[in-house]
Amino acid sequence: MGEYQLDSVLSAVADPTRRAILDRLRVSDARVTELAREFPISLNSTSKHIKVLERAQLVHRHVRGRDHVLSLRAEALGDAVAWMTQYREFWEQRLAALEAFVLAGDPEAGDPEAGDGRADDAAPPSSPDDAPKGAAR
Amino acid sequence: MTATVTVSRRIAASAERLFDAWLDPESLAVWMRRDGSAPSSVVADRRVGGAFAITMNDSGGSFVHAGAYTVIDRPHTLEFTWRSIATHQVDSLVRVTFTPDGDATVVEVRHERLPDAEAVRRHTEGWTEIIDRFARTLAGNGDS
Repeated sequence: MGEYQLDSVLSAVADPTRRAILDRLRVSDARVTELAREFPISLNSTSKHIKVLERAQLVHRHVRGRDHVLSLRAEALGDAVAWMTQYREFWEQRLAALEAFVLAGDPEAGDPEAGDGRADDAAPPSSPDDAPKGAAR
Repeated sequence: MTATVTVSRRIAASAERLFDAWLDPESLAVWMRRDGSAPSSVVADRRVGGAFAITMNDSGGSFVHAGAYTVIDRPHTLEFTWRSIATHQVDSLVRVTFTPDGDATVVEVRHERLPDAEAVRRHTEGWTEIIDRFARTLAGNGDS
């Protein structure tokens, strides 16, 4: 079995055409040529989108004779993404805390107790405490 | 089936400083916790093969994250196994790399061999409660 890669899943579903293809496959399996007919894009472009979805393990391709039939593999996708997102948020928050810790404790970034302003100044242009905006909700 | 999650952050500090903050138990206790919660309790046998345990405390209870160091290569790479209630007490693997980038360092966490929800559900009743509980331990983090 393969392995879900959160980034590939998220980038696969970030594209509206690919989301539309997934929606279409939710209704029924389809041949690649059918999808190309149903969507206002070329066969070549359809194939590229499908390859992205296959890499993300969202779509499975069966070869039946000369036909390549696609089916959705997303039964567990919602759970898998939710699950991995929890981990990602966990580590994003830990890294934000690590940043706050080292900047507060850095002799060049000011006093650990009183150095908020300077520590913030020294931080890169990202929020030190709350990188995954709203993501923890 | 397992899952991999990768997260990175560019932090304005040296690789050595960040590496040490990760390996030193006293430092770890300060930052390896939920924002606004009490410091964690950390015990660590800082050598390859040595074990560590991080007990994170919050209003929902105490959550132990434990593992053993598999790579300690200062200041480039720190790798350790990781198990907790969230991994269903199954060992996963965390690889942290520290890559200098100008006057900062990119810290990347690659968390591998995570059992995904489907795999866990095959083994566990009450899985939803566990993940909800884990979600609650993460929720409310962002406001401090």
